[in-house]
Amino acid sequence: MGIKIANFEMKNPIIAASGTFGYADEFEDFCDVSKIGAVATKGITLEPRSGNDGERIFETDCGMINRIGLENIGIERFVEEKIPVLKKKNIIYILNAAGSTIEDYSKLASIAHKNGIEAMELNVSCPNVKSGCLEFGTDENSLYELVSRVRKNYGGCLIVKLTPNVTNIENLAAAVEKAGANAISAINTLKGLGIKIEYLNGKFHKKEVQGGLSGKCIKPVALAMVKRIRTATKLPIIGMGGISCLSDLFEFISAGADAFEIGTQNFTRCDICNTLADELENFIKTNGFKDYEDLKEKIKEIK
Amino acid sequence: MKKIQKGTIKKNRLIAKDTFALEILSDVKEAHSGQFISILCPPKVLRRPFSIKGFKNGTIEVFFKLKGEGTNYIKSLKEGDNIDFLGALGSGFNIKNKKSLLVGAGIGIAPMLFLKDELNSRGIENFLITGFKCENEVIKGSDKTVIGGSVIDFLPEITEKFKPQIIYSCGPEIVLKLVSDFAKKHDLEAQIAMEKVFACQVGVCRGCVIKILKDGKVQNAAICHDGPVFDAKAVVWE
Repeated sequence: MGIKIANFEMKNPIIAASGTFGYADEFEDFCDVSKIGAVATKGITLEPRSGNDGERIFETDCGMINRIGLENIGIERFVEEKIPVLKKKNIIYILNAAGSTIEDYSKLASIAHKNGIEAMELNVSCPNVKSGCLEFGTDENSLYELVSRVRKNYGGCLIVKLTPNVTNIENLAAAVEKAGANAISAINTLKGLGIKIEYLNGKFHKKEVQGGLSGKCIKPVALAMVKRIRTATKLPIIGMGGISCLSDLFEFISAGADAFEIGTQNFTRCDICNTLADELENFIKTNGFKDYEDLKEKIKEIK
Repeated sequence: MKKIQKGTIKKNRLIAKDTFALEILSDVKEAHSGQFISILCPPKVLRRPFSIKGFKNGTIEVFFKLKGEGTNYIKSLKEGDNIDFLGALGSGFNIKNKKSLLVGAGIGIAPMLFLKDELNSRGIENFLITGFKCENEVIKGSDKTVIGGSVIDFLPEITEKFKPQIIYSCGPEIVLKLVSDFAKKHDLEAQIAMEKVFACQVGVCRGCVIKILKDGKVQNAAICHDGPVFDAKAVVWE
């Protein structure tokens, strides 16, 4: 079940999505983290960030909105405190990196390279921070320049996570490929607004949270985006957005995905990454497919 | 994987207006007052956290109030039905061998009743006061029940008579803030159990953070993981 993107080997095609799995070892009481294909870390920035004030979570029908604002411990502490733990526990990880400027991303890339981090996912699509980040992900020229600069400093597997909040995702995917990335992950969250109004004791009370929408409700958007990206690039695609069961994996393969990230569903069922990997492996074995690649080919052939 | 639990419903009964006591048979080995469990409520995305009201030989009791789809699902569970939950999660009350005043508000009485049991079993003198909005919402078990007013108004009198050395509290944020203010004014130690919407339940998503003062610095703490019980003095109120 192991798969390879560039030189990066994962135990299986199921990846825990950034922001939903912390720095991985925190989930040890709830699932077998070492069996997960790979874990994309919480978005890491050069300096630690305390994230946004106020309400950060809003549950919607079949999904949720978050506006965490990239709270994280910063790359220095990640390298010092987390990498040794991840290595010791045999957890395969992908560094999810975010920044405000090209320099931020370049520096993160150098640090990742120097410390032997095997895979890096560029977050150019966080809707919850004021500057940078999403701006790079919505303009193909800026994105090309950013990815090119990171590529110069980083020799590992470079994945770029795209936002669906754009008009033409094909151009962005093409720019990422031209700049030398090894894979595309898609999609990040959709911009959303949650409003809840309650009438209590003769008074209205309002809760309003604007942020990134995720969960099952975004799956059709994610599938559409993956399919469009597939028309623009030959790069491997890590598909994500509302995945919760085996048939979702098949749908994403059909749209053009090669691997998968599981996000919000980790909150509902914390062992979902293990479960999906087991179910996928079992399906391959019991139905006579040679391996995962064979299954993928067969699904892609379906007319 | 010790904290993913498949339990069975033992009892699910109405105890006050729109309020139920749910007993779950489980393999949980240990649970303390202030800790919580998070119940999967299909089709909701996020698990619902509930303070533990009691624990004995694997049977966990929680109180829940009907609020929407999630709690309606729990209400529908009958004796013998399966239930998927995580727990016991979070850090509970740090019980001190001190004369204890317990302040609950509404369904916040649940962890106070559990704490009262734990204090009694250790022979620690305690007094529980709880406030409810109206008569039909009252949950029994307190030493003093306030109906329709604020529990805070009664704290000076009780403190004068009972002379507590520590206060423990659970309830809406406004009550916890007033309890903290009261404790500070009277130079009393206080521990408060906080609440917010939780996404991950285990501290990784950073969705339920509050600001606390730790090591001389204001920093984030996730209620679900670093709490839900905090030293009232450490909480930086927004």
